Amino acid sequence: MTNTQVPNSQVPPVRSRPATPPVAVRPSVRDRGARLVAALFLAPTVVGIVVFTVVPIIGSVVLSLFQWNVIDPPHFVGGANYRTTFTDSTVLVSFRNTLLFMVLAVALQLLIALSLALALNGRMPVWLRSVFRSAFFFPLVLSAASISVVMKYLFNQDFGVVNWLIGLVGIAPVPWLTSEHAAMATVVLVYVWQQFGFSFLLFVGGLNNIPKEIHEAAALDGATGLRKHLGITLPLLSPTLLVATVVGIINALQVFEQPYVLTDGGPGDATRTVVMVIYERAFEQLDFGEASAVGVLLFALIMAVTALQFRLSRRFVHYQ
Amino acid sequence: MSAMSQATPTLKATPTLSRVRYSLAPWARIAALAVCALLTLGPVIWTVATSLRTPAQSFDLPPQIIPTHPTTAAYHGVFQQIDVWLLALNSTLVTALVAVGQMITAGLAGYAFARLEFRFKKPLFGLVLATMMVPLQVTIVPVFLVLKTMGLTDTLLGLIIPAFPTAFGTFLMRQYFLGMPKDLGEAAMLDGAGTWRIFRSVYAPLATPGLAIVGVLAFNYHWNEFFRPLILETSSQNYTLPLGLVSLQGNLGTGSISVVLAGVVLSMLPAVAVFAVGQRPLREGITSAGVNR
Amino acid sequence: MTDSHLPRRTLLRYGAYGAGAAALAGTAASWDRLTGADIPGRDDGSLVVATLGSAFDPATVEALTKGFHRLHPDIPLRVNAVQAVDWSDFFAKILTQIAAGTAPDLVYVATEGVQLFAQRLGVSLDRWVRRDAAELREYFADVHPSLVESMMYEGNLYQLPMEFNAADMYLNKQVLKRAGADFPAADWSRDDFTALLRELKRGGGSHFTPYFWTNRLWGGVVPWLFANGTNLLKESKAPGGSWLWDTFYPAADRQGRGGGFRWTTPQATTDRVEEAYDYIASLVQEDLCTRPEGGNGNNLVGVFSTGHVGVTPAGGFWAGGLQQAGMRAADYDVQYFPRWRTQRHQFGAAGYALLRTSKKQEAAWEFIKYAARKDTMTRLFRTNQTTPARRSMLNAARYAASGPAHWQVFYDTLDRFPDTGPIPAPPQVAEVTDVLLKYTGTALASPRAVGPALRRMQGDLEQAMEREV
Repeated sequence: MTNTQVPNSQVPPVRSRPATPPVAVRPSVRDRGARLVAALFLAPTVVGIVVFTVVPIIGSVVLSLFQWNVIDPPHFVGGANYRTTFTDSTVLVSFRNTLLFMVLAVALQLLIALSLALALNGRMPVWLRSVFRSAFFFPLVLSAASISVVMKYLFNQDFGVVNWLIGLVGIAPVPWLTSEHAAMATVVLVYVWQQFGFSFLLFVGGLNNIPKEIHEAAALDGATGLRKHLGITLPLLSPTLLVATVVGIINALQVFEQPYVLTDGGPGDATRTVVMVIYERAFEQLDFGEASAVGVLLFALIMAVTALQFRLSRRFVHYQ
Repeated sequence: MSAMSQATPTLKATPTLSRVRYSLAPWARIAALAVCALLTLGPVIWTVATSLRTPAQSFDLPPQIIPTHPTTAAYHGVFQQIDVWLLALNSTLVTALVAVGQMITAGLAGYAFARLEFRFKKPLFGLVLATMMVPLQVTIVPVFLVLKTMGLTDTLLGLIIPAFPTAFGTFLMRQYFLGMPKDLGEAAMLDGAGTWRIFRSVYAPLATPGLAIVGVLAFNYHWNEFFRPLILETSSQNYTLPLGLVSLQGNLGTGSISVVLAGVVLSMLPAVAVFAVGQRPLREGITSAGVNR
Repeated sequence: MTDSHLPRRTLLRYGAYGAGAAALAGTAASWDRLTGADIPGRDDGSLVVATLGSAFDPATVEALTKGFHRLHPDIPLRVNAVQAVDWSDFFAKILTQIAAGTAPDLVYVATEGVQLFAQRLGVSLDRWVRRDAAELREYFADVHPSLVESMMYEGNLYQLPMEFNAADMYLNKQVLKRAGADFPAADWSRDDFTALLRELKRGGGSHFTPYFWTNRLWGGVVPWLFANGTNLLKESKAPGGSWLWDTFYPAADRQGRGGGFRWTTPQATTDRVEEAYDYIASLVQEDLCTRPEGGNGNNLVGVFSTGHVGVTPAGGFWAGGLQQAGMRAADYDVQYFPRWRTQRHQFGAAGYALLRTSKKQEAAWEFIKYAARKDTMTRLFRTNQTTPARRSMLNAARYAASGPAHWQVFYDTLDRFPDTGPIPAPPQVAEVTDVLLKYTGTALASPRAVGPALRRMQGDLEQAMEREV
């Protein structure tokens, strides 16, 4: 995995020293012992991952070639499930929705988080800063499912607090959950509301790592406000931006709770995401074959997007 | 980093100028932050307030943030409708054991990836990280079948054991160990300490804050977890809190909104407590994942 | 990081040891909890009954278990209240249990799943019903034949109905009073209904919607289809079933009964269906009714009891919910669904389905009989969380505290409109429901969307019905 690059390139040069111990005492015995110890250190994680992730993934691929409804024994259908997938409008729409959701959610999340982190980086009393910081990251500790239940009340077109609030400034009630265009926006909003704290913390950490002197030097050169941020802060933040984007995208592609509770994918298919389709196919319609096929495709998509990202990042990410 | 510190002396001379630049519109900025903080906490405040109101006042607009007739009736309703104590015990067991388990697995594996040499290190680490990309929903059916062969379906252990390996935690701990000076271990090795002893008495104690991060993150995630328990736990005695909350919504939506919200608040409490106590590790955890320390 | 805080670190280490020891001790102490071994009746050959958790609270489940134990001390019983957000979610969990090899013996199944279970998993109750006919005579005499017929599939009986809910209309009397509107008559028409909504709208404030409904199979669009004399799928009756009708019902009640319903060809694009959708769309356009929301977490009881909504379709199950929400009996009332081309109502019923895989079928049948006894049902349905299937249980005393004043409407719906029938739920019910909800959402989400949405609904329904379940 290329993920390793992020941390690697940032660690001090000490690390590039060869890892062999400086004093070579009976190297061959030591090596064998060391390997055994390493294996023991790794065993819980690696065995766990193999049993509960790798084997299930292979299982999914195998299942995707079968037709299976739990009750009757599965029977082999080859690529039929994939063929169905590519002609099923719901599946196709769900991929489109998921990509759209990903772009909107990640962009909005990064924008909000970055703005808030920059604003917080300015001068203010220490206690106030920690109050703000706690506030912005509080939604992260809540459960997505129950917070979506709450949001559903708030965004109700007829009785919700949100429409009452915007009514105060003279805006007509918005059908947040029941119109095709608004519903996607609402799901994005609710998701971002809960998730932006993650990127926010990343940026706060990233900004803290930028020495004050750089800003001061820039200020001396006459750089202010936006220009300073665009020209200096952002490039220095780019490794953090990369991590925030990668994690943001991986999470966004797997979105489930918010649309499931808020809109159940509707109206029509307007907010149906890939993971929702997997859930419905598998656990509502008991079509485990097709559900697995869609799952395999989603996995491939996530891999592709992540790979693409690291490709691009090699060109645009600056490391100090 | 080192290049920066060299530049410092020349800059020390002009602190006043930079302060002027920084505080261009501090009040506007703080006001904007305050509005954002209010928007962020608003839904939570509304939830708490509504759970303390009578059902008849639930939909009042403008919403009363301070209830005129505060009542805990909704909370009594929660305890009447679901076995809160059993559900809380289950949630606590699952969350605590997953947290401890993840601290162990991530600590060990993170150390191995950071400090030990072995074959296939890079591809193995890649494999671990790649599992972050696998949606839970994709593998749940095969996982279910694996658990079935192990006789663990519909048990709390069935929720706990598969959650032991943690890609993110391993990544985090590896970062943590990478940030520690190598000389400590080398010194211990010269004293004749083996790999395990170096880990246990030199690095692991230093990594306590990192392990705390893993634990808090695990708590945070698994306390709120909904999808796996929904599929894997079929006996009502094995439900966790989030599952129990579902039934508060009632058959065909006949539940009372204040009871539902009281349930949400109750299930929030431990998460909030951990937030209060463990905010620092949680914050650091998230931060250090992205920023090398 | 590296500068040493030795005392703190030592402290941390002891802390870690302590935590580790506590975790170990905790794990050991709670081992039975972790493995589920402490669940009474687990893996010990108990009769396992799965019910929908949100319908019964823990106290009710306990009462049910104790009562059965008094009657049959030799049959250990375990009631498993499965948590699920709705029926399809519930069925999914049951199927998961079957896949895991931990299938229950009996499953509480509503109309939504009657045919699915009958066709794939269930055992018909015919032979036991015949055998114990004498014992059951009192039960059938108390239960409307329409309910019994809805539990039949291809001539065989699969469940004894315990409860049902028809979609009648609930009206908030405070709202009526505010608008100066009269309570509607039993034979009110669709136009009366529209006029009433307009009147309520004039009298209501800004956060008020006259008519609220939820987009689901039961009580969503289907009541309007029934009122307009049509259905989502072409409806007919299977032959057979006379063995039951002849044994338990007088000639007058046998008239037109068969061996259960058949729902076959989709007819979403027929004029009557389109007409029904156009009507609801017109209500939405006029702001007389809410657009249907998807997903769970609706709080209809809340918005109705607080006067944000004037009228909504619901069954007997609502009386209990409204009382809990603090509504007084005098504040609301119930009336039949309005007449359009017909005044046929739709209902959903529920009872216990016996699984083929059960190795304790005789014991399970004993439980079914026990559950159908009047004293059992009285204990179970104390809070008006549903309409009992036994007519004799609906009386003034039952509804004295909760209301509504016209509680007779609940059961009289079946008598007064004898063609009243179950919601369309063929074995492919999961797909059919998904398709229905999806395109109902689309049809009403924007103006002039009804036609295209119904055409796509038809296509998807055809595909769904072709699927072999």
